[in-house]
Amino acid sequence: MIERRLERMGVMTDRGKAAAYGIFSLSVLLALWICATSLFQWIEPRVLPSPAQVIRQFAWIITEPFSGLRLPGHILFSLERWGWGVLTAGLVGIPVGVFFAWNPWFKTFLNPVFELIHFIPPFAYIPLAVLWFGASTATQAMVVFVAAFPAIVINSQLGVAQVQKIYIDAARVFGASPFRTLCRVVLPAAAPSIYTGLRIAISNGWMALVGAELVVGKVGLGFMIAQGQENASVATIFVGVITIGCLGVLIDTLVQRSERYVLPWRRVAS
Amino acid sequence: MGQSRTLQVAAGLGAILAWIIIWAWLTRPGGPVPTLYFPAPDDVWAKFVRMWQRPYIGSTLPDHILASLYIVLTGWGLAALVGIPLGIAMAWWKRLKWIVFPTFQLIRPVPPLAWIPLTILWLGIGDSARISVVFIAALVPWLMNSMLAVYSVDRLLLDAARTLGANDRQILARVVCRTALPTLVAAARMALGNAWSTLVAAEILAATAGLGYVAVNASQLLDTDVLLVAMFMIGILGICMTGLIGLTQNWLAPWSVLGARRD
Repeated sequence: MIERRLERMGVMTDRGKAAAYGIFSLSVLLALWICATSLFQWIEPRVLPSPAQVIRQFAWIITEPFSGLRLPGHILFSLERWGWGVLTAGLVGIPVGVFFAWNPWFKTFLNPVFELIHFIPPFAYIPLAVLWFGASTATQAMVVFVAAFPAIVINSQLGVAQVQKIYIDAARVFGASPFRTLCRVVLPAAAPSIYTGLRIAISNGWMALVGAELVVGKVGLGFMIAQGQENASVATIFVGVITIGCLGVLIDTLVQRSERYVLPWRRVAS
Repeated sequence: MGQSRTLQVAAGLGAILAWIIIWAWLTRPGGPVPTLYFPAPDDVWAKFVRMWQRPYIGSTLPDHILASLYIVLTGWGLAALVGIPLGIAMAWWKRLKWIVFPTFQLIRPVPPLAWIPLTILWLGIGDSARISVVFIAALVPWLMNSMLAVYSVDRLLLDAARTLGANDRQILARVVCRTALPTLVAAARMALGNAWSTLVAAEILAATAGLGYVAVNASQLLDTDVLLVAMFMIGILGICMTGLIGLTQNWLAPWSVLGARRD
């Protein structure tokens, strides 16, 4: 009968109904949260703060410095560390992946080191990074690098391996040198796969960054959550978790949208 | 074919050997890399043997391994118990999906690790905090892949079952759950990978035993050789668990393995 009513209101498609159900269930959840905290105080505020408290904490962290920095400052520091890690992973990973596919001996030789980075979870590198670099940007960047690197290598390698042999032969027949073939034929053809790798790497790196910041550092979003734990302030943790989640979604959406501008030829293919 | 495969394996082993030699050469006494930053291979091996017999920060290496495995398998198993039925039900009854999925989508973009401080505040630093973080990390792949598994069931099979007079329950039990098995094995592998890597981080932050705990203590005590032992063990155990799941695929869903071999 809910659906009958929805249909009378003009919501016919499954998509519209799904949205209506979604809005309904999320509202119920929010109402439960409000009931449990502000209205009836079933749960103590130090265990679960009310939505109003979380919003107040949000406003407070945006306007007043928290551990020396306002929220945008923490965000910028996190983005900087993440950026360095992903950038290095891209700069090293794409050539390594391309050469893995281009020259099997190169791959055989470097594979043990690659598998080491691939199979040991990035967080296991945190203690080593702390030992090597102390509490600097390089520590978190290294953890992000370890998390981002394998996806880039694997997808670059896949992209190059999937380039049709006839393109390469055609380039060679027209007298292109191997280097020219690589730059003008293989790389553009492999670009979509490389881009997919970058996209996975970017979100893996973001996940790893949070872990690294939880363990070491004096600024950043992960640090903010850890500090919230230390001060037993669940509201601060909520602010940090929400910010991290939103930024993660924002970054992924931006990367997804940018694909059509970076790789315009892919639109034709798909 | 057989000969080139042998050659490949030999070359791979040769490369590993070459890297160990490079490693030993770089960390030799008076070599370019100080052993404080990266210990020599024989030191790491000696430490490994020692840790196997004598306790390091409270437990021997096998006990630390068991502590880690206990948490990861419990969290992963609980996530399976919730994720598989919920995923299949959500794919089968679209109204359930409409109700539950938005909440799930809201939680999904948050890295599982970001829940660690919250679980520590709520549950203390005992096992339950780590188990619940591992649970969250493993739940996403279990649930998403269970849904995917149902969606990827061949329409023709459903229609055939229906034509032959099967009711909804029979179709769900005999057709959907069976054809979904290979995807569920893939889900198991992904969930275990996520769970394992999240567990390591959770153990670094709050634990009294386990490989991540060993690693972070070794780093603070500048025992780089112990740290490397812990890292290698984390990697090797990860590979072993993934391998075991691969083997269960042969046993649970042999047809999918045959299919994979054909192409």
